[in-house]
Amino acid sequence: MPRAIWALVGGRPVVQVELHTAEGRTATRTLLADTGAGTLRSGFELLLRDEDCRLCGSRQMQSVCLRGAYEGEYWAYMLYVRIPMLGQNRYVRTLGVENVPPGLDGIACFRFLSQYAFGNLDGPNSFGLERLSPK
Amino acid sequence: MTSPAKTIQDRNRELARQINEEALSNPSSPYAGKFVGIVRGQVAVVANDLDELGRAMDGIAVPPDETFCIEVGLDYDEPQFIWSAK
Repeated sequence: MPRAIWALVGGRPVVQVELHTAEGRTATRTLLADTGAGTLRSGFELLLRDEDCRLCGSRQMQSVCLRGAYEGEYWAYMLYVRIPMLGQNRYVRTLGVENVPPGLDGIACFRFLSQYAFGNLDGPNSFGLERLSPK
Repeated sequence: MTSPAKTIQDRNRELARQINEEALSNPSSPYAGKFVGIVRGQVAVVANDLDELGRAMDGIAVPPDETFCIEVGLDYDEPQFIWSAK
């Protein structure tokens, strides 16, 4: 199955996604791969800066209530994202937030990561996603 | 003064909230487990997944800020925890 591998950033696991702006431009975002962020039943898959959500002309979705490092109600947006190495485009539920982890562009949460096989697929210094086999 | 777009979005959100509450209290609701797109206060699309919903909504010639989408059947009031430092 197609596989995408990224080097760790500051010792942390990351994934990269491409966003498509309303003007037709493409922007790459590096996100912390955080399996502890949210659950399989969360109403979001990614956290990105508010301005990224607006740049992509996103449709609004139901807000969610966050606790922990983020406190309060945050609106979700439907973004179209691409992972080129996996040859995959899809719509993703994304929360718009003011602040993201230092040195990164946002967080890929458990509901996003769970759509793939994930982990140190190519050794301890990298993190990867692999498309799941169809059932 | 409230802008027309905001009034539309308020209606969209209220309908989304009603649809979700109905599905949470009645699992046999026709919207339970579906992805619903709302346009100008009315249900416009009922889809089985987010990609199907996104494609259908993109085919509707309405500004995004007059639309609203919801995955029906989730408890949006339940706090979701994120611990990564920001």
